[in-house]
Amino acid sequence: MAPATQRRTELLRGVLDLCLLAVMDEGPAYGYEMTKRLRERGLAIVGEGSIYPLLGRLERDGLVETYRAASDGGPPRKYYRPSSAGRLALAMGVSEWRAARDAVDAVLAPVKVEVVV
Amino acid sequence: MSDFVEQCRREWKRLGVPDQLAEEMAADLASDLGEAEAEGVSAEELLGSSAFDPRSFAASWAAERGVIPAPPDRGRGRRRRPRVLVAFTVLAALTLVVAALLLLTGEPKVSLVTTKSHTPPAPGSFVPPTVQRQVLHTNNASAPVEWILLFLATVALGFALWLWANWSRSRPPAATA
Repeated sequence: MAPATQRRTELLRGVLDLCLLAVMDEGPAYGYEMTKRLRERGLAIVGEGSIYPLLGRLERDGLVETYRAASDGGPPRKYYRPSSAGRLALAMGVSEWRAARDAVDAVLAPVKVEVVV
Repeated sequence: MSDFVEQCRREWKRLGVPDQLAEEMAADLASDLGEAEAEGVSAEELLGSSAFDPRSFAASWAAERGVIPAPPDRGRGRRRRPRVLVAFTVLAALTLVVAALLLLTGEPKVSLVTTKSHTPPAPGSFVPPTVQRQVLHTNNASAPVEWILLFLATVALGFALWLWANWSRSRPPAATA
């Protein structure tokens, strides 16, 4: 795995659960639908970042509720939406993420990047 | 894509995932992969590198969902087992040393002997001709407890060495640079 891809995978691994909770908080979604919502925001699944085991963990931990419903012209799909515990986890996670992001920005902001070709 | 789902299904069956649950997960995965393919999205874009390893993907999904036991913490087991083994080995070795010292420092102090009762029978009562019984007896070397201890300690020490050998074989190979 290329170093850039590996770093992106590591970064994504720590916050992918929050991203999933965030996109399903916009409206119930099934697995592939969530992937599309993430991709529309430039967040492609890379490396080992499959969402399915993570969705399984969120379900096991009671952070999501699920139900089956017919999709547009397709077979019935399993839809996910955050439970009340999931919304609380999302709020706390977003707060932690912002604090971490600001701290990292404070360290990295002064760095001047020059690419010589 | 259907081959990927089929391999996942086989892995879930092998892992003991309940059939209904495995079918549900397989159906969800097949629907998502089918929709992605119809939109020109590759399996890798949907599943990441897991697209190349269906068995790991299936096991990981089932474990995270809590439908199969999580993989045991093998490292913790390996740390705990030597502590029990060390205690057992030390106990066996101590017993061996004590028994050997007792044997080397003089006459055995305690032994098992067989005695015979020659009490004359009371008139009119039935008593077997001889009654044998084992008693602890001092200053007799016919079956010394020290020798029994030495034998048991030797067997225990041998068993401990066998356990150590097995444990060493079960350890993972050292990581190479």
